[in-house]
Amino acid sequence: MSSFLIRRLLQSVLLMFLLSFVTFSLMGWMPGDPLDVACAANPQCTPENVALMKAQMGLDKPITHRYFVWASSVITGDLGYSRTYRLPVGDILWPRFGNTLILGLLSFCLSLIVALPLGMIASLKPRSWADSVISFFSFMGISAPSFWIGLMLILIFSVQLGVLPAGGVETIGGASMGWFAMIGDRFAHLILPVLTLSLLTIAGWLRYVRSSMIEVLRMDFVRTARAKGLSQNQVNFRHAGRNALIPVVTVIGLSLPGILSGAVITESVFAYPGMGKLLYDSILNNDFNVAMCCFLISCVAVLVSSLVVDILYAVLDPRIRLS
Amino acid sequence: MRLTSLMTFFVAIASLGACTGSKEEASKSVLTIGLDQEFESLNPTIAQMAASSYITSMMMRSLVTIGADWQWKCVLCTEIPSFDNKKARFVTENGTRKIIADWELNPNAVWGDGTPITGHDVVFGWEVGAHPNVSVGNKDVYTRIESITVDSDNSKKFTIKYTDARYSYYQMGTFHLLPKHLEGPIFEASKDTAGTYEKQTLYTVRPTEAGLYSGPFILEDWKLGSHVVLKRNDKYWGDMAKLEKVIVRIVPNTQALEANLSSGSVQMIGELGFPLDQALALEKKLAQDSQLSSRFKVSMKPGLIYEHVDFNLRDPLLKDVNVRRALVLAIDRGKLTQALFEGRQSVAHSPFHPLDVYYTDDLAKYDLDIARAEKLLDDAGWKKGADGMRVKDGKKLSIILMSTAQNKTRELVQAYIQEEWKKIGVAAVIRNEPARVFFGETVRKGAYPHTALFAWVSSPDNPPESTLHSKNIPTEANSFAGQNSGAFSNKRVDEIFDAVKYEFELEKRKVLMKELAQIYASELPVIPLYHRVEIAVIPTNLKGYEMTGHQFYSTQNIENWYLE
Repeated sequence: MSSFLIRRLLQSVLLMFLLSFVTFSLMGWMPGDPLDVACAANPQCTPENVALMKAQMGLDKPITHRYFVWASSVITGDLGYSRTYRLPVGDILWPRFGNTLILGLLSFCLSLIVALPLGMIASLKPRSWADSVISFFSFMGISAPSFWIGLMLILIFSVQLGVLPAGGVETIGGASMGWFAMIGDRFAHLILPVLTLSLLTIAGWLRYVRSSMIEVLRMDFVRTARAKGLSQNQVNFRHAGRNALIPVVTVIGLSLPGILSGAVITESVFAYPGMGKLLYDSILNNDFNVAMCCFLISCVAVLVSSLVVDILYAVLDPRIRLS
Repeated sequence: MRLTSLMTFFVAIASLGACTGSKEEASKSVLTIGLDQEFESLNPTIAQMAASSYITSMMMRSLVTIGADWQWKCVLCTEIPSFDNKKARFVTENGTRKIIADWELNPNAVWGDGTPITGHDVVFGWEVGAHPNVSVGNKDVYTRIESITVDSDNSKKFTIKYTDARYSYYQMGTFHLLPKHLEGPIFEASKDTAGTYEKQTLYTVRPTEAGLYSGPFILEDWKLGSHVVLKRNDKYWGDMAKLEKVIVRIVPNTQALEANLSSGSVQMIGELGFPLDQALALEKKLAQDSQLSSRFKVSMKPGLIYEHVDFNLRDPLLKDVNVRRALVLAIDRGKLTQALFEGRQSVAHSPFHPLDVYYTDDLAKYDLDIARAEKLLDDAGWKKGADGMRVKDGKKLSIILMSTAQNKTRELVQAYIQEEWKKIGVAAVIRNEPARVFFGETVRKGAYPHTALFAWVSSPDNPPESTLHSKNIPTEANSFAGQNSGAFSNKRVDEIFDAVKYEFELEKRKVLMKELAQIYASELPVIPLYHRVEIAVIPTNLKGYEMTGHQFYSTQNIENWYLE
């Protein structure tokens, strides 16, 4: 196990170096710098000033030089400075990462809690009324765009009923309220974005759980378990359920980085300052330092989640050996 | 049972949270403004985003500004120096004519911590803005100053020597004073390394320091990407603000912004980026819903964003002015603005807005005239073929019309023009690119084959030299510097621009700009389309609010706003 972890760690470092270099280069090669774009619409803008600003940002240097300058400062813990926000990257990134982490993990847990049992219920009696109802809502969830779901939730719960805030992270100026009210306030602001994100995830995951479970329930070892006289619950959950989870774990594991890197649309609709919108804007604005740090976080999330998935395989199926 | 209890607990605390949110918004001393754009550092010298300007306009005051009547006026100064009031004069040094102007600051003007605002803050603001290691968007306003001398007897008085003698010497709306007593030591310690001042400025490190601000509000709290909270500056030297607090919330989606307005989370949508089609739909909704219309209204004012189609005059086809005229005559621009914008955006005939001092009505106009357009094309040798499309020397008259992809309004305008041109036998091929490619490469290098649809942002009393002078044609030789992307070149136009910036009499400048507008309308380097409107949604009980329609936002008068 330890040799497996060390090997994976070394692979990850190499992979992160290669991926970060490729991403940095791709961003550098994108046509049109935002400074030129801003200048193109502004008759007050002088070409000399644009050239000066580019030089100040080091944009007149080759990409490889800029990459190694960036990489060496990140290694020393200096994340650099955002050219868009004109603030240190850490000041921008960490609060947003925290917001995204809370939103993503809550949504992840809610999706798991709902999708696993519903998928199993739907699979146990295919084409029953329960399966039909679950499948109907699942297809609705898959088909509906997240911005539409978000706006509908705002219209119902904020505009019509007025029971939940329409967006943001907390009530502005709420620092004076007690800690209990403050937690409640943060929680109230999370309900609609978490629901929006979860509805989409639940809809997708429960389809995987359902189809995986239906496939496993047809297998010989399930028939054998039933022939041995095991109870229906034991057959369904201990034997079939555990095996059905292997492909599901892959899907869920690969969804985790997406959840942790933020959800651009949900964050925009709910004015939730998270990492997804930050990453999107920083790429559009060639804000290398911010984009690369967001990218590194996403990269770590992908590598960690694929490692967790590998370990879970071994837990769920003892025949799989990590060595 | 446990699950039920847990759920009850969460619902209880969520309800508590939901309840606390509405108290503040109900107050008449607090105004919550929603914006769909993000802000950056609040240092006015280095900030470049529109939302930052919108916010800092509530906290900072400049020497001069342009009022809602589009006239320059003093803010921090007592009187704009001019030749009439003998506070400005010419000097000639080494054969160069320059201007020296005596300025005086308002004697009561103080920073938010009570420290007097003096000429030393003006000098310091200039040093920072002009310094090559500080990244400033509009550096020209700083670099055109040669020196500033503070009166040794009265530090409220100072004299500026400008590098040349342009009539616009006093137009220093984007020149920002900075508090030397707070920022001075930071700048001294950081100025030798590029980009260091931006990182260490107190506006970034300790932005709630009251002494950083000279306006009617100071910063109480801010969270990047989320909100800023401003509180009344009790030491403000001008008219005290009537509102106690202003909250600016960022909602980066205009549909969600409207939903926030309906729910009461924001009371107003500021004039940054709320689209016209949504504003028109909201207006209709308000007309049908008395409850909503009693709460807010849509406010519009013609602005300085000028939408047009640039001709690429490097192309032999478009070098023929009669072809250009035919293409303009074939478009019913009145119907276009009526159909797409319900007539709210006025048809443009020149780069000058009707509210601008240089606007003239005495020029060639191109109302829809299909017969004349067809004749011009026939005379130019473009004859209609069997399929109704025009051909010359076996080549079809086909024009590539480029613009920014995913811009709904521009795509509609393109489709409209395509249909109109088809009527005179001209095929328009629509080819769009993402904004950063379109502006960053194609327009910047003048690389569009025939035409490009986009907008210019202007300012009042501003001759459009950068877009029409032949020295500003971007070429490989000048590293594509210059904004005359269509390569328009006219000797008389160049002469007018060279003369107008040194012409101090407004009436004479008006004559020159009228001639320019007439040449523009005759030569048609572009198809003028329309002037965009500025849009805001404001509470019906908000008084004292005045839209400006130009680059200095309505928040520059925030001290006059109040909720009835």
